[in-house]
Amino acid sequence: MEHTSSATAILPAWETPGVPNVERPPDAPSAIETVDLTRSFPTGVAVDRLTLSVARGEVLALLGPNGAGKTTTARLLNGVLRPDRGTASVLGLDPSTDGVALRRRTGVLTEVAGLDERLTALENLEFSARARGLPKADAHRRARELLDRFGMAARADVRVQGFSTGQRKRVALARALLHDPELLFLDEPTSGLDPTATRQVLELIESLAARGRTVVLCTHFLAEAGRLADRVAILHRGRLRAAGTTEQIAARLWQGLDLDLDLGRPADDDLLDAVRRVDGVKSAEAVPAGLRAVVSGRDDAPRVVAAVVAREVPVYASVPRAPTLEDVYFAVEAEFATDEPVDADDEVVR
Amino acid sequence: MRSAEPTDWVAIRAVIARDLVAIRRQKAVIIPMLLVPLLMLVALPATIGLAASARRDALDIGEFLSSMPDELARPILDQPVREQAVILIMQYLLAPMFLVVPLMVSAVLASDAFAGEKERHTLESLLHLPISDRDLYLAKLLSAYVPTLAISWGGFVAFTVVANASAWPVMGRLFLPTRLWMVMILWVAPGVAALGLGIMVRVSARANSSQEANQLGGTVILPLVILLVAQTTGLLLAGITAAAIAGAVVWVVAVVLNVQGSRRFTREAVAAKL
Repeated sequence: MEHTSSATAILPAWETPGVPNVERPPDAPSAIETVDLTRSFPTGVAVDRLTLSVARGEVLALLGPNGAGKTTTARLLNGVLRPDRGTASVLGLDPSTDGVALRRRTGVLTEVAGLDERLTALENLEFSARARGLPKADAHRRARELLDRFGMAARADVRVQGFSTGQRKRVALARALLHDPELLFLDEPTSGLDPTATRQVLELIESLAARGRTVVLCTHFLAEAGRLADRVAILHRGRLRAAGTTEQIAARLWQGLDLDLDLGRPADDDLLDAVRRVDGVKSAEAVPAGLRAVVSGRDDAPRVVAAVVAREVPVYASVPRAPTLEDVYFAVEAEFATDEPVDADDEVVR
Repeated sequence: MRSAEPTDWVAIRAVIARDLVAIRRQKAVIIPMLLVPLLMLVALPATIGLAASARRDALDIGEFLSSMPDELARPILDQPVREQAVILIMQYLLAPMFLVVPLMVSAVLASDAFAGEKERHTLESLLHLPISDRDLYLAKLLSAYVPTLAISWGGFVAFTVVANASAWPVMGRLFLPTRLWMVMILWVAPGVAALGLGIMVRVSARANSSQEANQLGGTVILPLVILLVAQTTGLLLAGITAAAIAGAVVWVVAVVLNVQGSRRFTREAVAAKL
């Protein structure tokens, strides 16, 4: 794949800083719309001119290293923090002014489970349900149901103090779902979970998406994001560096498609020259198992194979290799790794 | 938008109920909170009452009282000699405890209001709940105020029972509570508790831990305790009207502090420190 991008080239036009609402897909009801959302702290800019759109029913993965601004973004979008600049609309509400109404319709799983250790699992959930206005009996019933669903029924009446990280996470997830929210912010939902619990949580998120719930997933686990997310948004030092599906971002990052040919030995120079002359081939290089070519598309692959076979070189396998989310993420990371820190001259006065 | 939101009493009650359950289960908080009132309001009057009852002869405090202004000493000097010491100590000298206890208890509980949540990593999930800033602040105030009043008034009832019972051989009658005491307990003490909360909840919202909140708040609360101890006996001797006026002053300051605190409190400011 040939690298072609610049920073903003990875973003669709409607998510480019300073370009609000252009080329936005029509008739796509948005759960979240932000334009130039910015938030600073005395330590620097946490979120910088974030322009982003999330459709209703979409699962968006917010990716980025520690300190990229994922958690601050979730706090801004749920009306816990206020932006210094820019606007946000979440479920049609302004988080800055309609925070209470908004938070009735959202559920949040914070990175740290945030359960009161002095209370039982059931009491933690009942408290959250009561604070959200559920009548006492309903709060009790709903809390029991969810604990049961998350395999915590046996520990419902045990104080959280002795719980493992995984158990806490499960209770916290149950708490986030108590009121059947339309929009979920899930910050590292599977960290600390064992493989079985991880799979359960991933299936749960998939089922939520299938039921039309919007999910904003902040995670470090790329495989998890790749499996769950309809689109990803990659943040780096508070700036949105890339957004879209893996394929969309890859198409903006690279031209062409990797094609690996297993020849049983590295390709020699003559073979590489022959391959380079094939229509649609952008480049070719030898690898230990054979050769790797960059072609314009899948349709070019048979011609490459034919060119190799014509030179009486056996082809054991031909694998068009689409870039993975991991490829995309690290390519974006590498692109911005040497960036200067974002200018923090507009620090907010609290 | 803060004022437009109607008060959500269901959510406020939920926060208070949770906090009360949690406080009840926290031995490190509950033991000192009960121990101090037990010592001051039960052990101390019991010892004094029993000691006075055990004496065969009356303790003559006439000389001590004569050094006080006549209008202050007269109500005690008018009583039989053997009752004078009990009345002086039980009715007047121990009275500051009724104001120190609510101030101390409210300070201990209020310091935990937000700083404790931060320490326990429960603050963020609390901030993500659909409770307005004002209601959250009010809930935290009441979470500390309700147990403070319960302990103060419970302590007062215990004091009254213990003092009357232990001094019965000397007094031969129920000498507590007096009308003046009722003003102190029902009017001044709740005001003092509210004053303590007005200071400590604000401190707690700014502090990073309960310990830090206690240290910061202590610099304000301790002088208040000293002031109360110094002034309460004089206030009692000065009569009901003076006590009522002093209570009103305390309430005004407390209301100003708490209203200001509620207006200035924003989850934004708290979340920005997470």
